[in-house]
Amino acid sequence: MKNILKSIVLTSLVLTSCSDDFLDRKPKGNLTAETFFQNENHAISAVNAIYSNFRSWEYCGLPFIGATDVVSDDSDKGSTETDAFYLAQIDDFLFDASNETFSTIWNGHYQTIARSNIAISKIPAIEMSEVTKARLLGEAKFLRAFNYFRLVQWFGEVPLITSQLTEDQFFTQKRESKENIYIQIEKDLQDAISGLPEKSKYPATDLGRVTKGAAKGILMKLYLLQNKYAQALTIGEEIVNSNEYSLMPSYQNIFTRQGENGPESMFEIGAVALQASIAGSGATPYNMVQGVRGVPNLGWGFNRPSDDLIKSYEAGDPRRQATIIYVGEVLPDGATIVQDNPEILNERFNQKAWVPNHAGLQDNGPGNIRLLRYADILLLCAEAANEVNNTQKALEYVNMTRKRARGTNTFILKDLTLTDQSELRAAIRKERRSELAMEQHRWFDLQRWGIQKDAMLSVGKAFVTSKHELFPIPQTEIDLSAGNLQQNQGY
Amino acid sequence: MKFNNQLKFIGIIVMLLLARLVDAQILITGQILDAGSNEPLIGASVIEVVAPAIQNPAGTITDENGNFSLLTTSSAPNIIISYTGYEDQTLQGIANAPMKIMLSESSELLEQIVVVGYGVQKKSDLTGSVGSIKGKDLERVVTPNIEQALQGKLAGVYVTPASGQPGSGATIRIRGTGTLNNSNPLYVIDGMITPDASSVNPQDVDRIEVLKDASAAAIYGSRGANGVIIITTKNGSKNKEPKLTLSSYVGSQEVVKKIPLLNGQEFARAYNQLRNQEVYKNLDSIGNGTDWQDQIYRTAPIKNIQFGAGGSNEQVSYNFSTNYFDQQGILESSSYNRASARLNIEMKLKPWFTLGNNVSYAHIREQLAPGVVGTAYRMPSVLPVYNSEGKFTDPTFFGLAVANPAADLAFKSNNHKRESKLLGNAFAEFSLLKYVKFRSNFGYSASSATTRTIEPKFAVSASQLNPKDRLSISIDNPDKNWIWEQTLNFFREWKRHTLGVLVGYTAEERKSDFFGASREGFPGDADELFYLSSGNDTTQMNLGGASDEALTSILFRTNYSLNDKYLFTASLRVDKSSRFTPENRTGYFPSASVGWNVGREPFIENLNIFDRLKCRASFGILGNQAISDRYPTTAIIGTGQNSVFGAGENLNQGSTQLSISNPNLRWEISRQADIGIEAGFFDNKLELEVDWYRRNTYDIIAAVPILKHVGSLNNPYVNTAEVLNQGFDISLNYRKVGTVSYNIGGNISPVKNKVLKLAQGKSEIFDAFINNEPATHTIVGQSIGAFFGFQTDGIFQSAEEVAAGPSIGNEKPGDLKFKDLDNNGKIDDKDRTYLGSVIPTFTYGFTLGGGYKNFDLNIDFLGTQGNKVFNEKESFRFGVYNWEQHVADAWTKDNPSTSEPRVTNGGHNYKVSDRFISDGSFLRLRTINLGYTLPKSWTNRIKMDGVRFFVSGSNLWTRQAYTGYSTEFPNGNSPFKVGFDGGSYPIAKSIQVGFDTSF
Repeated sequence: MKNILKSIVLTSLVLTSCSDDFLDRKPKGNLTAETFFQNENHAISAVNAIYSNFRSWEYCGLPFIGATDVVSDDSDKGSTETDAFYLAQIDDFLFDASNETFSTIWNGHYQTIARSNIAISKIPAIEMSEVTKARLLGEAKFLRAFNYFRLVQWFGEVPLITSQLTEDQFFTQKRESKENIYIQIEKDLQDAISGLPEKSKYPATDLGRVTKGAAKGILMKLYLLQNKYAQALTIGEEIVNSNEYSLMPSYQNIFTRQGENGPESMFEIGAVALQASIAGSGATPYNMVQGVRGVPNLGWGFNRPSDDLIKSYEAGDPRRQATIIYVGEVLPDGATIVQDNPEILNERFNQKAWVPNHAGLQDNGPGNIRLLRYADILLLCAEAANEVNNTQKALEYVNMTRKRARGTNTFILKDLTLTDQSELRAAIRKERRSELAMEQHRWFDLQRWGIQKDAMLSVGKAFVTSKHELFPIPQTEIDLSAGNLQQNQGY
Repeated sequence: MKFNNQLKFIGIIVMLLLARLVDAQILITGQILDAGSNEPLIGASVIEVVAPAIQNPAGTITDENGNFSLLTTSSAPNIIISYTGYEDQTLQGIANAPMKIMLSESSELLEQIVVVGYGVQKKSDLTGSVGSIKGKDLERVVTPNIEQALQGKLAGVYVTPASGQPGSGATIRIRGTGTLNNSNPLYVIDGMITPDASSVNPQDVDRIEVLKDASAAAIYGSRGANGVIIITTKNGSKNKEPKLTLSSYVGSQEVVKKIPLLNGQEFARAYNQLRNQEVYKNLDSIGNGTDWQDQIYRTAPIKNIQFGAGGSNEQVSYNFSTNYFDQQGILESSSYNRASARLNIEMKLKPWFTLGNNVSYAHIREQLAPGVVGTAYRMPSVLPVYNSEGKFTDPTFFGLAVANPAADLAFKSNNHKRESKLLGNAFAEFSLLKYVKFRSNFGYSASSATTRTIEPKFAVSASQLNPKDRLSISIDNPDKNWIWEQTLNFFREWKRHTLGVLVGYTAEERKSDFFGASREGFPGDADELFYLSSGNDTTQMNLGGASDEALTSILFRTNYSLNDKYLFTASLRVDKSSRFTPENRTGYFPSASVGWNVGREPFIENLNIFDRLKCRASFGILGNQAISDRYPTTAIIGTGQNSVFGAGENLNQGSTQLSISNPNLRWEISRQADIGIEAGFFDNKLELEVDWYRRNTYDIIAAVPILKHVGSLNNPYVNTAEVLNQGFDISLNYRKVGTVSYNIGGNISPVKNKVLKLAQGKSEIFDAFINNEPATHTIVGQSIGAFFGFQTDGIFQSAEEVAAGPSIGNEKPGDLKFKDLDNNGKIDDKDRTYLGSVIPTFTYGFTLGGGYKNFDLNIDFLGTQGNKVFNEKESFRFGVYNWEQHVADAWTKDNPSTSEPRVTNGGHNYKVSDRFISDGSFLRLRTINLGYTLPKSWTNRIKMDGVRFFVSGSNLWTRQAYTGYSTEFPNGNSPFKVGFDGGSYPIAKSIQVGFDTSF
């Protein structure tokens, strides 16, 4: 008996000591963190994955539309009365920190930052072409800066994370001062400007990757946010003088397939509807959530252009018609007439997010998401020039977009000739609204100009001073942080 | 490497075999049978009678076939055969000639034998809590699924049918929900460890044991934490003569009930109220409209035929069975058809060597219906099935989210699954020394399913259409598993002692893979054209993947009893799992238990109250790793993160690390304690078994939320949270035999579930979001996944009342009032509260059975008490759907209801509140079975052993308050979303007639 036991014990020991090979199992069909970042393809792939997240629901879905257009005076929630209650709360300023709008955009943007951080930390060690490496790092840094730029405008002070966090750091991040976030954004953008090529230097197959011009454009916005008008004007004019961009002759066409990555495009996220019955791997929900709801059925019908927006256009401004789809209107592709939906009162839709019929279902949205276009930069140049009292220059820039909008119709949108700085300031702001309406810029503009309160109260929204200028930090983040994150004032 | 190890093991066996030749021993073999029934007696003890001076007499017990082999050193020893419940017999052993020994039943009760992990034990020797049920008690429930057959049968075993879909399984919880993960028990089928028992034909089952406490389940260590269900299939050993059986039944099923919904006229009236205008002018002319439930449900036949053959001789015992089962679903276009066969063989080739195998194969054909249960519930009853042109009605007028269910059935039913399942094991058993047996068992299971879905081009509405005809094929091989177990068993009884020791080593590997492909654009409509190659090759899509895992274990268990009164068991299992890193790979799972057969003490015997009385207590530690991710510690690079560049809108491949992983993950641990009493009274006619248990699961593996700014797509798995389940399992049975025989029995299982701790800094988990509001809330001190929302407080009757508040802000007269729990004058998130738990206060089942002459009757009831359910299907409205019947009484100015709000379509009245929560208690007549057995005198004349005819019914009567089909729903494995009725395939009630014959 003793011998048997002895043999069993021995055998067991032998068996167990050898079993580790048997127990080492690797995921099938996936690289792991240990096997990734070995070559140039991996580096490109990791940077592509940052762009990819810009098309996700968390990034550009309904909550994003809520946090940009619906919250502003440009649009109302839209859709049927009871659909997406949380968005109605945004529209009416009845939201609190647990509204899913905030947690969703927070999530989407920080996920994109995490992907950028991985690329920025891992790519330098890869042996590959130095030019490509510099470009890829430039892309990743631009994309990180772009996200922090949005977050700091929405939420104010936010955790500034620039590397991959380890487990002990998950719960300990604190909010960073705006100034330090601005410094980080500027640093990333300067790196991007030096590492990135101009738009025209990209091969045709890479059209849509971020460019030197795009980085300068965001840097210009950062300067304006800090009232650094002279610096803003300088860098804005660098963009103008680069001759990389021009206004498209037809305003309406900017937002059609034809305008995708067109001469006016400075930064846009490519999307495509591949043959697929469901959301394909190049699709975005951006078009669907704003699509016509009813007949024809193109989407969910959110983001209804507001009465206030309609009123804000100068008489005869063709941009109003190019921005808004009304019931009874023939759609831009001439395919069909929009019919009344009895479930929605007085519906209107965002034409800039409209896409014609495409492969797959609604969620296979193919419309590129325009994030920065040349007209935006021209109007910012006008704004900056006016602030540094260069009226002539300001008029020159602001009239460029008016001219394009009026086309051959000389009776409308006449050139501005104002010389009073504050009158011109108001006129430039008005022009900016008409030019960029429903493109998710309005809330940030109102904030930069410090006139959120007046704008909101004038459309009857329950805006509270010293509170609603910034969104609340998502309640779930406050709860999880165990005291490391403090809520914004008023929430 | 592992092959090498097995070689080493074989080497050791050879050495041991040689060792037995050295001893000059003789071998006595034989079979012990019941003198009355001729059935073999399992576990009878055979002990050599020796002079008191000699230590260590030889002894053994009979195996599952009643066979024994005894090695002794004396040439013609006297042996004493004893078996609880039978008279002892002493006789002289004869070497080298198999003996046949008949034992007569004593006046005492027949001793029960219970299958435990890696062996069998006498029930009186058990120190753990084991529920046991015989195959014949399950046969009366007409179901193709063994999991469903267990419903209501055993205390502490709570079975929820996954759905009424033909062939679907069930969710089983043993002693509550112990973890935040998959709480499914482990299934062991003839030694093969499997994740479910769906491939086992209930009529092949000999017995089922449920290991409920740590002492019983600890031998399965890492996977025993949620209990173990051991299924033993029939072998032929009980029939000396070959015995053939043939049985069959046919039946008819229909949906258990219909949900009361508004008819056409009532819908039109409600719609007018919703629009606040006379959309429908002449209500009387509308009539009943369409009952959409009638459009999708049908009376469906069910058929079963089973043939079996079994028998044994000295060397071979065998059991063969084949079965054909065909069930049409009560939902149109759903069916399940299974042809299966099983062959169990055991060959005693040498007195010291036995070989055997159990193999089953099933071929299953299934048609899967499209999801029309929900759309039939929602489809407005004013709409006809077809419009005036004879086409399917487009329901778009009422919103786009509802699809015409009749059209879905017509266009989306070409959905067929073909599945093969193989499950088998082969074993060899060596008697090495006097008391030592070595067994090597190899088990293998494989299943493969091919699903072929053809969807023609059709258009009913802008949202119910398929622009291209499409064929999708998916090939799923979810289980390709093998296990190899080596066990060494020592068993010896001497004088007043009984000692058993088990040691073993097991290794197993589990693999799965899948492949899918599709194409669009086929050259015609005929089914035979729908093969991938004939589709448009520019539309082709495909996908595939695989995963695997491995586990090695060492097991050890010892049982010792003194005087059959004082019982001790200790066990240890050491598991190593591939899911963890080498540092955290090893888990140690010990248990210990004691038992005391108090009934055998004179001071109890003298009371003359108890025929049997046993107390037992156990404590042990078990593990769990049942998370869906097989590689939770590895950071995976996610693919498909593509970006679109270039004028040609080209897809550029993107991939990166999307989620954080946790290399420090370790085993989830469960500490379980159990105290039990078993008693028998009145000649054991009345039996009582009571268990108290406490099950504390800690280091629960869960993917709890981390801060979103970490930027991880998924939350990493971490060891967190602690959950307590505490309760009783009580069962009581009374049995009387005679000309009029009857039995009455029941079980009841009260359980309390409580969260003791949650993740780092996390005080609550919100989940089950409905209309973007959480419907469950898990906090320390409450049960997992408790319902959460507003408490309604009547109806606002007037604008003044609304203005007076408290309100949210947009209410109108006729809207629901909610309780302002924090008394701050307004209704906000802080006013949401606990609204009940889906976990019943207790579950119960009871059986009434009786026999008179040749008639027998068996009735099973089961039920739950104290649980709540959430009517999820009623709680969201993306279009105007039909309403449940109670909306006919909606508030209007002329009908100032105080409970039913005005008709709205979503919005305020659809906030998550107790409006959608119902009492989930129910009592159901699970089965009623009436049989008539032909008199023996007739059947003997036609050379048959027995012929029984029966008629039976399932789910014929239910008492429940809830409006839905039933109160049990398939909710997946997340404990945070259970008890939500999203509109799943309902259960059926049925009637069957059939016969059982044997000859």
